[in-house]
Amino acid sequence: MKQTVILRSLILASIATLASGCSSLGVEPWERDVLAKAEMQLIADPLEVAIDEHIYFSKEASSGGRGFGGGGCGCN
Amino acid sequence: MTDSRTIASTLAAATCALLGSTVIAPVNAAEEPVWEFDTALLYYGESDDRVQDLSLNVLAVRNFVDDHVLTLGLGVDTLTGATPIGAMPFDGPQTFTSPSGLQVRSTPAAEIPLDDSFLDTRVALSANWRQPWGRLYTVSGGVTASKEYDYLHLGANLKLARDFNNRNTTVALRLAIASDELDPVGGAPVPLTAMGDINDLSNRLSSESKDIVDIVFGVTQIINRNLLVQVNYSFSSADGYLNDPYKIVSIVDPLSGDPVPRPATPGLDGPSHQYLFESRPDERTKHSIFTQAKYFSAGRVLDLSYRYMSDDWDIDSHTVDVRYRWPLDGRQYVEPHIRYYTQSHADFYRPSLAANTLLPAYASADYRLGEFDAVTVGLKYGWKTESGNEWSARLEFYRADGSVPGKLLVGNQAGREIYPDLDAIIAQFSYRFGK
Repeated sequence: MKQTVILRSLILASIATLASGCSSLGVEPWERDVLAKAEMQLIADPLEVAIDEHIYFSKEASSGGRGFGGGGCGCN
Repeated sequence: MTDSRTIASTLAAATCALLGSTVIAPVNAAEEPVWEFDTALLYYGESDDRVQDLSLNVLAVRNFVDDHVLTLGLGVDTLTGATPIGAMPFDGPQTFTSPSGLQVRSTPAAEIPLDDSFLDTRVALSANWRQPWGRLYTVSGGVTASKEYDYLHLGANLKLARDFNNRNTTVALRLAIASDELDPVGGAPVPLTAMGDINDLSNRLSSESKDIVDIVFGVTQIINRNLLVQVNYSFSSADGYLNDPYKIVSIVDPLSGDPVPRPATPGLDGPSHQYLFESRPDERTKHSIFTQAKYFSAGRVLDLSYRYMSDDWDIDSHTVDVRYRWPLDGRQYVEPHIRYYTQSHADFYRPSLAANTLLPAYASADYRLGEFDAVTVGLKYGWKTESGNEWSARLEFYRADGSVPGKLLVGNQAGREIYPDLDAIIAQFSYRFGK
């Protein structure tokens, strides 16, 4: 019980630290020119990502991470 | 009025100057947004006449007013070729009953047994709707479906995202559920029962099913003008029939490690040796951490990601993926890509089972549950047409090298090539138009 309380406090403290840390990061709205470029999107080519995830899902024991775990195929 | 117009035009000119020297065409409000299409033709081919896939994929995106977006996807795959069935190779020929139970097939001595009856067409459809919800939230929902000859997938997903810190931090929660139905050729085998003679389907069940729940919690953070990072935690739970109905495990002699011959049934063709259909647990829980960074420097974009996955089948994996987009001029670019993947084997991975010993509850010789490393190396070349459409072509090589831990080998298996290594080519041609 005591361990759970300590663990919860640690998690809450970590979240608070991260949140306050994050607030000092970032850009102003007029500094988003580079981030708005198509090639700077996290998934710049959605079709290629989907194709790759399907290939690796059917050949490896891991899937997902970026999004959902894939599936919808009898290949694994 | 005149003053405000002057201010507005001055601001517009200043904005244009900030964004670049090119003249931005005014948006005609009467002109409704059009469909944008992403299309790709893919060839995936494995060496030694193993799996070949020719695939056509289309993603159609329609942007409505106020950031409401509809995305529709279509994929058609035609698959042919041979795939390893899990049986242990040795220096004699082997004969197997085909999955349908209607015929037998033979593998020459010293070759890894393959099933060359692999032939399928897969059609996959998806639809997704995304829209803002209030000032800081974005919601999206979608459905997915796919059909193969022996497999049906139906799924639904939801995503809720909220922006923080002046939209520099985005926290997203995603949920997906899927219900898949397997209807294997000849019926789904009862796990750990023997492969029988032709026309003996007594140990086959009718269709089987599995349910999958995925939850992804992610944080995306803009670090500065040129750097963006994302961290995701994913939980995935699968429940139901998780076997590959076409995979078998050889029963081998505990001393020699060679497959144990099976007495022939007079007048009937059947397997030459003793093989059992594989058995996997009916539950699997996976956890993964995925992190990605995108960094812009002097026109070039570095895309770096890492994923760690761990599941209750005792498989751990690490994946590192690096892409570097390098513009050649304003219209062309090249993008080298390197991916490294490594996984440990499942705790029930068994290349063979020794005869006359107690059978384990679970056993699979599926090479994808074994221990291996894989490397992908590729290059993509893209160019934009004058009208703003984009062509791209990529060529990649995938190589997976596996090994079987010594403790899982029996008798003289140690000196043999047991693990079916894999070499494959990925060639893709894409065209993006309508923007």
